[in-house]
Amino acid sequence: MAMSDDMSGDAQPRIETYLSRLRQRLRGVNDRDAREIVEELRSHIMDKAAASGKASGESAGEVHGELTPAAIDAALAGLGSPEELASQYITDDLLAQAEVSRWPLRILKSLFRWASLSVAGFFVLIGSIGGYFFGTVFILVAVAKLFHPRTAGLWVFPNGGGDFEMSFRLGFGSAPAGGRDLLGCWIIPIGWLVGCGLVMLTTYITVRFMRQYRKSLVLPQG
Amino acid sequence: MRDDGRDLETADKWEVQLRKGCLELAILAALWDGKLYGLEVLRRLESDSDLIVSEGTVYPLLSRLKALGLVQSEWVESDAGHPRKYYALTSAGRPRVRQMAGMWTRFSSSMSRLLAPLAKGK
Repeated sequence: MAMSDDMSGDAQPRIETYLSRLRQRLRGVNDRDAREIVEELRSHIMDKAAASGKASGESAGEVHGELTPAAIDAALAGLGSPEELASQYITDDLLAQAEVSRWPLRILKSLFRWASLSVAGFFVLIGSIGGYFFGTVFILVAVAKLFHPRTAGLWVFPNGGGDFEMSFRLGFGSAPAGGRDLLGCWIIPIGWLVGCGLVMLTTYITVRFMRQYRKSLVLPQG
Repeated sequence: MRDDGRDLETADKWEVQLRKGCLELAILAALWDGKLYGLEVLRRLESDSDLIVSEGTVYPLLSRLKALGLVQSEWVESDAGHPRKYYALTSAGRPRVRQMAGMWTRFSSSMSRLLAPLAKGK
């Protein structure tokens, strides 16, 4: 007789409540993967609960006993809370995506999901946005210099209050009055080098943080 | 007394980090002989190593190894009345686990040489 036929009346709602809480927290994981996760854990809970009440010497696959609420509770406790479990699935998913593709937009998309889950993710997102933003600005100015050689670049100019301001300009409009183009044509190689370097460094540091965070979630027993 | 407690705590943390570090290799190695479902992977880790990890850690890790293309999965109907998700190494996963095992063997043998005097109590 199949285990599911023998399941006690109290057991099924316990499992469904746990899996439903888990499913709700798997936001961002695509529907097919989330369904597979839930079904796999349902199968695990039933095997584990059956095994905990089995007669000695039998393997989990051979057990067809009744699933008691106590056995179900023990199986659920072994998995941890649905929140912790969902967090591990999501960060593993993010890490796998980040390792498969280092494309900054993919990394940022993953970071937005991580930021919605943890404070650590939020701070890494803020840092990454900063790194990618400045990297992109350097590259854009280097490209703009090719089309607007007189006005694009890193400019220093008086702000009217006796101080000087420094800003990157893409070259649209006229050059600031009394200003000086600091790097001239050197902005082209420097912009590319610094820009690409910043983007790569940001990606490297972000993935490193993700790995560290993921390791901190692993909870060995004993 | 307090220092002894702190030393023990530091040693425990170090051991936890050590176990965490080799968990991926252990899971891939458990699949070397053939396909297993999640609970069997856990049982294999328990019986063949000191790596007793929480169930909530192994399933997400299996999922990540699958996303990385190192393992593949399939659902198989069981006598227990519900299907089980079996994992197996992919053609990319087998050379990867062999490579990881080689690194581990070289590392552990060099560490053993270094630690040999401690074992002899010198």
